[in-house]
Amino acid sequence: MPHQRRLWIVLLLAWSLGPLLWQLYTSFCSDQALVAPLAATPERWTLAHYRAVLNSQPPFWRYLLNSLFVGTSSTLLTLVIALPAAYALTRLKPWIARPARLLLLAAALFPYVLLFLALLEVARSLHLGNNLLALSIPYAALSQPLAILLLTAAFRDLPLDLEDAARLEGMRLWQRLRWVLIPLIAPATTSTAILVFLFSWNEYPIALTWISDASLLTLPVAMARIAGSSIYSVPYGAYAAATVLGSIPLVLLVLVFQKSIVSGLTSGAVKG
Amino acid sequence: MSLRLSNIGRRAGQQWILRHLELTVSDGECLALVGPSGCGKSTTLRLIAGLDPADEGSIELGERDVTRLPAVQRRIGMVFQSYALFPHLSVADNLDLGLKIRGIAIQERRRRVNDVLERMRLQERAAHKPAQLSGGQRQRVALARALLRDPLIYLMDEPMSNLDAQLREDLRPELRQLVLRDQKPVLYVTHDQHEAMAMADRIAVLHQGRLEQIGTPSELYRDPVSLFVATFIGRPQINLLHTDSSSVLGVRPEALQLQADGLPCRLTHLEWLGASQLWYLDSPQGTLRMVLAADRRVPETIRVGWRPQDELRFDAVSGRRHR
Amino acid sequence: MILLLGPAGLLLLVVFAAPLLHYAWLSYHADSVVTGLEPVLNHGANWIRLLQDQRFWQDATQTLRFALVSVGVELLLALAIALLLDQRWRGRGAVRAIALIPWALPTTVMALGWRWIFNTPYGPLDQLAHALGWPSLNLLASPAITWIATVVGDVWKTTPFAALILLAGLQTIPGDLYEALRLEGGSSWVCFRRITLPLLRPYLALALLFRLAQAFGVFDLIQVMTGGGPASSTESLALYAYLNAMRFLDFGYSATVVSGSFLLLLGLCLGGWLLSLGLSRPQRQQEV
Repeated sequence: MPHQRRLWIVLLLAWSLGPLLWQLYTSFCSDQALVAPLAATPERWTLAHYRAVLNSQPPFWRYLLNSLFVGTSSTLLTLVIALPAAYALTRLKPWIARPARLLLLAAALFPYVLLFLALLEVARSLHLGNNLLALSIPYAALSQPLAILLLTAAFRDLPLDLEDAARLEGMRLWQRLRWVLIPLIAPATTSTAILVFLFSWNEYPIALTWISDASLLTLPVAMARIAGSSIYSVPYGAYAAATVLGSIPLVLLVLVFQKSIVSGLTSGAVKG
Repeated sequence: MSLRLSNIGRRAGQQWILRHLELTVSDGECLALVGPSGCGKSTTLRLIAGLDPADEGSIELGERDVTRLPAVQRRIGMVFQSYALFPHLSVADNLDLGLKIRGIAIQERRRRVNDVLERMRLQERAAHKPAQLSGGQRQRVALARALLRDPLIYLMDEPMSNLDAQLREDLRPELRQLVLRDQKPVLYVTHDQHEAMAMADRIAVLHQGRLEQIGTPSELYRDPVSLFVATFIGRPQINLLHTDSSSVLGVRPEALQLQADGLPCRLTHLEWLGASQLWYLDSPQGTLRMVLAADRRVPETIRVGWRPQDELRFDAVSGRRHR
Repeated sequence: MILLLGPAGLLLLVVFAAPLLHYAWLSYHADSVVTGLEPVLNHGANWIRLLQDQRFWQDATQTLRFALVSVGVELLLALAIALLLDQRWRGRGAVRAIALIPWALPTTVMALGWRWIFNTPYGPLDQLAHALGWPSLNLLASPAITWIATVVGDVWKTTPFAALILLAGLQTIPGDLYEALRLEGGSSWVCFRRITLPLLRPYLALALLFRLAQAFGVFDLIQVMTGGGPASSTESLALYAYLNAMRFLDFGYSATVVSGSFLLLLGLCLGGWLLSLGLSRPQRQQEV
């Protein structure tokens, strides 16, 4: 491998991991070490910060659980709604299908944060606030454009004969979807599911405005609350520990599913 | 009379891709549908199967009018050109799926699937996925699936076009025997006239969405109703001579003979076909193709003629044959 | 068919179309503590206020500046990363996975981290400055410079996404093109200029459009990292809308701010599209 390339790779790794690794380092530093990093201190390392985070009220793992719950329910809801819609989109006449796809693309590009106010009113009027299951509804809605676009592309890649053969075997629409069409797009479905899950897990403004009950907070909102105290105090060790704990599930997710994530995003780019 | 098409028509936009099609296929009969690309043969199959709706006319299957019946409810056994096997399922599951959907109990399903696997000699491949099979094996699976449907009619859309020539020849008799065993009607689409003549009891020639002629291979050969049929059926292709502006004279290469009083010709090319040979001749009337026995020598002077009863005369404008 | 599309269509209407219409409606009403949290028609008074609202226009400029700089830097970095990942070398998959990590983390989680990194005097950057004998950087407390810190945070998180899009584009370019040019004596730079860039244009455009729209709505990062400060110098339009609604409880005006932001975004996209048309015309002539 040429040396020049090796240099770039190292730079990339340093850039990508650096800030996170710094958090890792900080989380194990005692308060004294944080305040005087270069001085030689007798007690450098400590687990106190982790203990503080894990023993807080509500406990930290609660946030992870909440995010997991919302992530899973959003993903399921999104797929249940987007799969039939994506199939239907492939069967529409071109003069409807093309503008529909453009609209979906526009919706996918739209900065959804601008919608928070209206969604807040929806939450208020329908009493959907402080309810993790209800939170998956706006998440599923916001994920529809991307999900439908990715799944439609996958359906369109299937040979037309297959559905004809399935029809002649006596399979009605829902049977064709269940036994033939949906199983055949499993890779695309997986990619979509992961992307939706990531979105739901990381979403902030809506979770912020819909949920105020401390025990129901999702991870991003909980982290922001931790940060909410004055900028000038120094519990940065605890912050760092929280950051590390909050990052672990996602790092694992990315490392395990990276092929799926990449193929989902790149196929979306190529066909979009 | 197990299939009857009456005045069938299908449109694509404003264009008619099929019009005024009348066709019957009886139980235990194999009818071949031949014609050049785009003549409407695959469309016809799709209409019978219910995959596309007919814009005109009616379709009767087994004494029942199925014109408005959705494809899932017609009992059709179709073998697609691409075989359309479900790639994510094993051979056994491919065959099982249709039965499962139709609510057949698991013991019975297993019995029927094993039965057909044995019949088609696919037992060893039962657990494999389609991608792991050869072309011929995939075709057998597609056929097995159609057999399991216990259909009212078998529709075959160029089922052998993806196989190499040798395999095709080997499979022809087998295929024909298999589908005719249960005495159902068979509609066989192909662009290969040899295959049509080998597989079918009758042949229907389609041209630009219309039925040109329907009859036994021998009828089409001896008694073509139009120029198109005459040139489509018979290899090497019939010789066409433009004697005058209003008619075209056709003489088959096999009908040409060396005659002392015939047209003087010059040999430009010779093809040896095994049992016979094909001569390309230059004559005052244009290029002639002539078929002779393999042991005939090329004479010094070539003079070629034919018996008047071997002549086929066609109208130069309409292409229809003068009887 | 209706059954298939119905739920999706309904959700989309409720989530996209309805809010925008609602905002337009609400912006013409006063709805705040003053009106007892009930909408009362006030005939465009909100809009007049918006036009004269210095904070809004300042935020608009800041948001635009943030978006343009962030996306600009991001695309350059993303291109470099994509070029690196496009080549084949051992361990590429692992490095690609690691490069994805910043994008996968919630913004708020790392926003805290950034606060620490930029922290004066204990953060690593400040410590480095000390070691080099420079004065305290005070990155998070100076109205003129803090926005740059937010740009760094945004670029770090979103570059992988843009890199993946560009990578997808790079992988559609057939290798033969490069070989052909090299045989004619083309250098790497020429290959890049004549083959890579032109063929990558639609992907660059897609990434640009996507990221610009997203960056325009920046909220999470700003709220957690700087809270909009110091002195509202990093405040974004989305944050301003949020403050109006959640802190000042002025929902009518918040709707106006959102509507105004949306209109500005439309203008930006339109401008960008016109610009791309204008840029492609001379390019096309050059290709001919």
